[in-house]
Amino acid sequence: MVSVITSFSRITILSYIIIFTVIDLIQIFEPKLNEVVGSILTTIQAVMIVLFLCNSAAVIYFAKENPYVILTTVFQLIFLTVIAIFLNNLSVPASKALINNMLLMLCFSFVFIERLNFNKSIRQLINGVVSLVVAVIVIYFLRKIPEISKYLFVFAAIGIVSLLAISFIGDIEYGARLSFNVLGIRIQPSEIVKITYLFFIAGCIVTFRDFRGYLFSTIGAGMHVLVLVHSKDLGTALVFLAAYVFLTFIAYKNYILLGLEIGGAIVGGIIAFNAFPHIQTRFIAWLDPLSVVDDKGYQISQSLFAIGTGGWLGSGICNGMPAKIPVVVSDFIFAAISEEMGAIVAICLIIIYMCSTIMFLNCAFNCSNSFYMLVVSGIAIIFGIQTILNIGGVIKFIPSTGVTLPFISYGGSSLLSMFIGFFIAESSEELWISAKGRRRYDY
Amino acid sequence: MLKVQKNYGYQRKAEEDMTTNHNKKSIRKEIYVTAFMFLIFFAGMIAYFVRFLVVDADSFIYNSYNSRFSVFADDVERGSIYTADGRAIAKTTKNEEGNEVRVYPDERLFSHAVGYVDHGMAGLEANYSFDLLKSHITLSDQINNSLTGQKSMGDSLYTTLDYETQKAAYDGLGMFDGAVIAIDPDTGKIISMVSKPDYNPNTIDKYWDDINDTEKGDSALLNRATNGSYPPGSTFKIVTTLAYLRDGNSPSDFFYKCSGKFDVDDYTIHCSGNKSHGQEDLLTAFSNSCNSAYASMGVEIDREKFQSTAEDLLFNDTLPTLISGTKASKFAINSDTKESIVAQTAIGQGRTTVSPLHMCMLVSAIANNGQLMEPYIADRIISDDGKVVSETEPVSYGSIITASEANLLNQYMEAVVTDGTAEKVDFGDLKVYGKTGTAEYTENKKITHSWFVGYAKDENGKKLAVAVIMEGAGYGSKYAAPLAASVFKAYFEK
Repeated sequence: MVSVITSFSRITILSYIIIFTVIDLIQIFEPKLNEVVGSILTTIQAVMIVLFLCNSAAVIYFAKENPYVILTTVFQLIFLTVIAIFLNNLSVPASKALINNMLLMLCFSFVFIERLNFNKSIRQLINGVVSLVVAVIVIYFLRKIPEISKYLFVFAAIGIVSLLAISFIGDIEYGARLSFNVLGIRIQPSEIVKITYLFFIAGCIVTFRDFRGYLFSTIGAGMHVLVLVHSKDLGTALVFLAAYVFLTFIAYKNYILLGLEIGGAIVGGIIAFNAFPHIQTRFIAWLDPLSVVDDKGYQISQSLFAIGTGGWLGSGICNGMPAKIPVVVSDFIFAAISEEMGAIVAICLIIIYMCSTIMFLNCAFNCSNSFYMLVVSGIAIIFGIQTILNIGGVIKFIPSTGVTLPFISYGGSSLLSMFIGFFIAESSEELWISAKGRRRYDY
Repeated sequence: MLKVQKNYGYQRKAEEDMTTNHNKKSIRKEIYVTAFMFLIFFAGMIAYFVRFLVVDADSFIYNSYNSRFSVFADDVERGSIYTADGRAIAKTTKNEEGNEVRVYPDERLFSHAVGYVDHGMAGLEANYSFDLLKSHITLSDQINNSLTGQKSMGDSLYTTLDYETQKAAYDGLGMFDGAVIAIDPDTGKIISMVSKPDYNPNTIDKYWDDINDTEKGDSALLNRATNGSYPPGSTFKIVTTLAYLRDGNSPSDFFYKCSGKFDVDDYTIHCSGNKSHGQEDLLTAFSNSCNSAYASMGVEIDREKFQSTAEDLLFNDTLPTLISGTKASKFAINSDTKESIVAQTAIGQGRTTVSPLHMCMLVSAIANNGQLMEPYIADRIISDDGKVVSETEPVSYGSIITASEANLLNQYMEAVVTDGTAEKVDFGDLKVYGKTGTAEYTENKKITHSWFVGYAKDENGKKLAVAVIMEGAGYGSKYAAPLAASVFKAYFEK
């Protein structure tokens, strides 16, 4: 009976995700749909999200025979509804389609963390609630502060000091200094610094409208990146570097500069490759994981075994062996999704991430104010690059760098920074107008 | 908190970005460029992902570090293995208690070719385990099966093996230890593969300790056809002949007067039965299998040329075949090698070892004008509803022997059968080309392995190459060659 439900659910879940993805692809072109059609599409997506969550939870409930699954699912649904209502009632949600994407990613997160480790799924739900509250508070303050871009050096200082602190006193995990413990809660400052970093670079560019803007942002970005390299957190360093390169490109519109920056990044990469033996071993593990399957290639080999064995349709939830992959619940959760829900769902998920990145960039494009235009572009770039680094690492498209998959990977800090970024993007228009001290209802 | 009035569109223009003098579309076109770059990255990633699943995944996941195979058996019943003529030689059935058991209807007949599943895995069962546990029946049938709680039937494997030929080889080997392997030279299809001592795959679990008894030391689990290491005996004269020709000699250069023995250093090489063959040219030396003539030829060949010829003929290398885990043959001669060892090497004694598969591949290249087809045994995978899931295409390794060399060896090997050592063997109406061998393997020169390598051709041009080794049987012409004859008859008379 259980296997019947699991097998059958493979097909139903696949159909929800395909319907969702098709609607997503329609929506990235921001078609001038009339309001009725637009809201019908959005509603269909919302229905698919609820069906997806409930169907997956039902499979986990039957497979694990854990009655608490029903309870957590109810709380998850309430949580998602609160987010949805809150965002949709924001005076000007920048992109309604993006809200659905984020909710679906959260559902994937809930389902797979629950399937892999039930206790962690409860912690992740708490992380989500905390992230929501913090994000709302951050938005509230941003609304109150006029000309936020003037505080650019404060942002730079916060970022560099907290990264430096972690670089020297942080706890070592997987060979890198990433986090420290505060009252039993593990905090990863580099995640939060992503936001202050974007505020700093955007602030530099809009405050100094000349060469100084570029100079300061370059120096500041370089310091962030160097401290991250010192902590051996190369994946995050790459994310910061990419955000800097693309933001200066968007701001200064200079293709030669873009080429020089990318060239510089490649030279830096080659120097790092020769200087750090652990990059070289990662490189070998990427080129031929089976040759070092006992050691450095074990994780990526297990990931590819999971994906390959799952095949197009997947093994069905709780029918695979994703627990064989080390750190599957955070960095390699995509392999678990592909193994159990199948490669078609996994490809749909990549497409959903792609659409989300483009929708974020659309939000940036539609910003009336250049400061928030740059901040939101930065959020889009960080979101996109992190997705590519994470999924690319899991499927052996590129060497594994150890960054998290936005909204899906287990971990409070990364969820928090994504929540803040997402809320800023959704309310970017609102923030600017409010910060100028004008109330829209004055008109 | 953030609840504010909606619908503000009209003042949006008024609030238009004051910080630049340009209009939005033109100043922000770089956002679209950025979006486009991300689009390319994502598309590349999806393409790579699809490529991995379509091209690499199946071979990648077949690895002992992948512990997921056990899960498959819960939903799929392991598929059957068939001979080329459609006889099931391994299938899954239910026993009285309703448990699935793997059954091998022909018991020992296909033991090494097919392998076993009960105690670890071996043979085709191991190499194609993944395919046999995958089901390619239609999706609706699969869904139907999983709804009704039935297992889907796994795909079947059709081998290249021919039942009658296999049986002739198996029966012909009789009580002897050894191996028989037969290959279709035009395609590389393995028609039969027998190794003895053997085991019954149906009861391997029960008798595992007995089969692996090291004191008995007969290593019944070893597939001698692909992994045996035998002294080649006189069958190696094929290689020596090629080395002689490749050292810049012409076939007509060779003359030798055989007195029945050849002295080198303080060692004497005798012709078989101490027979003196008298005046010989290359053809008669080959067909008489004259040890003295070949020993004298061997010491004259440039040693580097000898070594490189052997290596061109796939010695000291993994054999190009789709069968996994074959044993490389060994050949080593250099400037330090004693002359007596070189002389012995030239007649297939010395330190050279070969597998029957390798000898059969050499002969099939000779039969195919010098071109070697890579041997394979798994012909195609068929789903339970009859669709072809995958099919092995014959692959050419290229020419390891030139057409003129092959032509010459054809004449010589024909002479072996018409006038030479295999003259008395009854091959029926078939045109047979071969070489016998009698290989010493202990100090006692009375006990010898019996070899025959060669191929037969019928009037339609259909060919079959075989290599036969019977351990400790005696003369190649007396034991191995008649066995080859019965294998040929079984193959061509169907």
